[in-house]
Amino acid sequence: MRILPFIYLAYMFLSLYMFFFFIILFLKNKKSMFFYPKARKGYSVSIVVPCYNEEKSIEGTVNSVLQSDYPGLKKVIVVDDCSKDNSYKIIQAIAKKNSKVLAVQTPENIGRAASAKNYGLKFADTEIIGFSDADSFLEKDAISKMVGFFDDEKVGAVTCSVLVKNKNKFIEKLQAMEYAIIAWTRKLLGYVEGIWAMPGPLALYRTDLLKKMNGFDENNLTEDIEITWNVISEGYKVEMCLPARVESVAPTKTIYWFKQRIRWDIGGMQCINKYKGHVFSKLGYFIMPFFALSLFLGLLGIGVFSYIFTRNLISNFLYTKYSITTNTPLLTFEDFYITPSILNYLGVILFILGLFFVILGLSIMKEGKFRGFRNVFNLLFYLIVYLTLYPLILVVAIGKMISYKIQGKGIGWGTR
Amino acid sequence: MFSSQKHAFWEALLVTILIFGIGVFIGVVLENWRTSKIDYFYQESEVKLFDIRAQSEIYALGGLDCGTAIDENLNFAGRIYEEAKTLERYEGAERLTDTLKLEHKKYDILRAILWINSIKIKKQCNASYHNVVYIYDYAEPSIDTKSKQAVFSRILFELKQKKGSKIVLIPMAGDNNLSSVSILMSRHNVTEQELPVILIDEKIKIAELQKVEEIEKLLK
Repeated sequence: MRILPFIYLAYMFLSLYMFFFFIILFLKNKKSMFFYPKARKGYSVSIVVPCYNEEKSIEGTVNSVLQSDYPGLKKVIVVDDCSKDNSYKIIQAIAKKNSKVLAVQTPENIGRAASAKNYGLKFADTEIIGFSDADSFLEKDAISKMVGFFDDEKVGAVTCSVLVKNKNKFIEKLQAMEYAIIAWTRKLLGYVEGIWAMPGPLALYRTDLLKKMNGFDENNLTEDIEITWNVISEGYKVEMCLPARVESVAPTKTIYWFKQRIRWDIGGMQCINKYKGHVFSKLGYFIMPFFALSLFLGLLGIGVFSYIFTRNLISNFLYTKYSITTNTPLLTFEDFYITPSILNYLGVILFILGLFFVILGLSIMKEGKFRGFRNVFNLLFYLIVYLTLYPLILVVAIGKMISYKIQGKGIGWGTR
Repeated sequence: MFSSQKHAFWEALLVTILIFGIGVFIGVVLENWRTSKIDYFYQESEVKLFDIRAQSEIYALGGLDCGTAIDENLNFAGRIYEEAKTLERYEGAERLTDTLKLEHKKYDILRAILWINSIKIKKQCNASYHNVVYIYDYAEPSIDTKSKQAVFSRILFELKQKKGSKIVLIPMAGDNNLSSVSILMSRHNVTEQELPVILIDEKIKIAELQKVEEIEKLLK
């Protein structure tokens, strides 16, 4: 029984399903995607900026928050986690100049973004609290556009479009595409209560809710995913405000990017483990199955890929060895005669649909920089190579997670 | 808001089933088209073989025209070899159905008859051509056997290019559960375990890979 063609078909079916699922959601909601409700009341807002060794960007980040046009912004709490560079001095200097800025420092280096965020939470006395990474830059109207969602008492948290600030290097361009697509699909998932993360660059929460939940889980490497699941488990909704934008500095080197993704994957698995009891109950019908299925398919995919790759490698080695022994040509004209199967045709169709999906997402997110012939290579590389690396990273993450468990080690937040 | 949106799950499922179903249907149609093509080739070859056998029967009544019989047999063998390559190409593509397996079996019977016919004509007419029968592992070859068979095929392809009508090259599966093939194999002391094997003129058995030149020497 040949099982591989049917595994391919199952993957194709699921990919096609996800494509149509997002397209249907888009078609149903394209007019309201950029809608944001005007706030009926003036909520008081604090923004917490956790910081560790961010002397290059922290001033810009704090200034971008201060330049917000939202009149209810009361405090900008910058929490320094005992940086080794001049971050804290810079923060103190800004605090001296601007009374809204509160510079605080943790008693000792904790090494986790979640801990620094929780430390900042103690100083917040506003109705809404927001968190922004120290290398992220808010658009002037980002907070104003987001707060209106809190008029709905069931809304516990609101996130926004996170886009990449640095788009010069190849790896940065790829991430810029990825972030734009994530933002768009996150908005679409919001229509089915499927938002599974409030990204670090900017998210707003009800302060009393966050305090009631004792803040962020300090043992989780992706506290932004965990807190989202926690908010939903508490019976609240999370919303995505697509027109509110924040730009974040993406990893500039492949190794940092790789470490960041490992951290994301480990954090994701920690969340699955923590909330496994909530499947189909408090977390809704989508998030956990979606997460678990992605994990399963990723692992199965890499397993199948490894099997085929190893088999072909051995087969080619033997074939080459025997060809050399018998003095026969390794390649002939006949080898270039391809007989495509239905799986090849379906694969091509899926690739074209994937390309269409990415181009559509980029145009909706107004990431015009990626239009034009010059970016065809980036686009193709993103679809063919970049996305294919996800399962590989997952395998490394699982390996690391097991290794850390055995050694009793932890991972810090320094991924750049 | 959510309740009006949740239909997206089912709507997407329906659209996917429809589009995917059409895709799979087209795939099955494509495979059936290829099977039909092979089947058409097969039927033509079958007719041709019956014609050759009928000629033999007529000649058996008296006055065998060896020249015509040899030519017909060589042409037919050439045709069967070309069709075997087409069948191999189609089988090389990932498939959803197993219809080609049956076609392969039918061809194997045809090849067995061709082999018998070749032996007969060679004997009756004292023909100078050589019967080169390549019996391979079809059902579940290991990676090693598969690689070996790929090289064997290439060697035989080269041999055919060099020798042309001096050889009747007959590739056939040796493990397709066909009695005729099994009997022919056991008559020439070939077992399924030692596949792939090349049999030259029903006397020389080659089970290990050899250079084309070495096989050529055996044909002299």
